[in-house]
Parts: sequence; C-alpha cells; structure tokens
Amino acid sequence: MKGIVALKVAYIATWVIQLGYIGYLFSRYKRVREEIKDLKRGS
Amino acid sequence: MNLLTKLFLVLTVAALGYAAYEGLVVAPTEQTMGDVQRIFYYHVPSAWTAFLLFFSNFIASIVYLAKRNAAADAVAAATAEVGVVFCTVVLVTGPIWARPVWGIWWTWDARLTTTLVLWLIYVSYLVLRRYSVGSQTSVLAAALAIFGFVDVPIVYMTIRWFRTQHPSPVIGGGEGSGLHPSMWPPLLWNWLAFSMLAVVLVVARYRLQTMEQEVEKEHAHAALQGSPQ
Repeated sequence: MKGIVALKVAYIATWVIQLGYIGYLFSRYKRVREEIKDLKRGS
Repeated sequence: MNLLTKLFLVLTVAALGYAAYEGLVVAPTEQTMGDVQRIFYYHVPSAWTAFLLFFSNFIASIVYLAKRNAAADAVAAATAEVGVVFCTVVLVTGPIWARPVWGIWWTWDARLTTTLVLWLIYVSYLVLRRYSVGSQTSVLAAALAIFGFVDVPIVYMTIRWFRTQHPSPVIGGGEGSGLHPSMWPPLLWNWLAFSMLAVVLVVARYRLQTMEQEVEKEHAHAALQGSPQ
C-alpha cells in the first residue's frame, strides 16, 4: 500500500469507527425512549 | 439539550475540523516516511484518549465498589465503552501505518500485543456488563475493570522496557527521541479535539446508561406489583 493511500484509508477508517459508534448510540437512545414511552402507557 | 451542551458540541466539531487541517496540511512532511506519518496525528491522540478513558473507568469502578453509587457505575460503563472505540481506532490505524513503513501489517512485539490484550480486556468487560444477569453484574464488572487497568501502564512502558518494532516514546524517551517542535501543535490540537469528542461521547453514553437503569428499575417495580402476594 502506498503512503498516501494508507493515510487516506486510516483517516476514513477512524471516522467510520467513530461515526459508526455515534449511530449505534442513536439507535440505542431511540430504543430506550420507546421503552420508556411503553412503560408510561402501561402504568 | 441545553445551550452549554450545544455550544460544547459546536466547539468540538470546530476543533475536530481545525485539528484535521493541522494534521493534514500544516504539519511538516516527515523526511523518512513521507505523508503516511500523518496517521500519527490520529493514532497517538486516540491512544492517549483511550488511556485517559480507561483511567476514568478505573477510578469510577473503585468509587462504585466503595460506595455502591449508581452514577459511578454509569460513568464506568460509559468510559469503558468509549475507551474501546478509541482503542479500536488505535488498533486499526496502527497496522495501516505499519504496512507501508515496516512492510508488515502486524508483529507480535510487546507494544502491539499488550495493546491487543488491553482491547480484549475491555471488550470482555463490556460483554460481561451486557450479558450477565443478576444483581452482582456491576460488582463483577468493577472488579474486572480494576484488575484490567493494570495493563494500561504495561502498554505505556513496553517501549521503554523492551526493544520493540514499535518506535521509541515521543515523550520522555531519552536522547535521540522526541518530536520536531513544528509537529507538537498538530499533535496537541488533535489530542484536544479527540478529548473533546470523548467527553461528548461519554456524556451521551452516561445519559443512555442512566435511562437504561431507570427502565430496569421500572421493570423490576412492575414485576413486583404483578407478583402474587
């Protein structure tokens, strides 16, 4: 792998990991919020 | 989201943008490695941030064991998870940097191996928290975190204790080591930006953890009310 290609791949990989984690957090937030709504409806 | 949180978010995005500019444009091209050395400005700050997060997890775990404080448990869960994300960045960018420079993706030298072990310890911690059922989960997780943290100073010291393929330390590495002065601002900007991102992620994950704790309490309460007398 050439240096400049490796640099681009490393930067892209870093942001895929970070943004992937942010997306995962959002999906968990959504699920917990729905669960809280369901609990409030049930009580 | 209050005004202070919004302001911090905007500042974090701005800092990340400026830090990328510093690392990719302002930083000088290293003589031996060329442009690929710029991976350093993501790789090293990610490692430092991961170490700080695992240290925070260690402190929060001690506080939890001493006081059985739910907030400390939530901080421990949040810092471990975000720490694993940053440690993953280190383990992914390292081999991408190593391939053009060393000619290999990976070698089982002391620094690389102990970093992989560190990642595995905290992934085990997260698996324990996620799949263990029962009231002792947080206690077991806190104990694992305290023992697991022992690997952090070992990772830090490996390049001082052993001759490794990994380069010598940037700070406190003795004669002949160290950074060119013009490389310090991009490194410190990137570390600041990554630390700010870590704060944002930990706060978000902490809030999620407290919400999940509330849901668990509600479920337990509902189960008790529904159980036969």
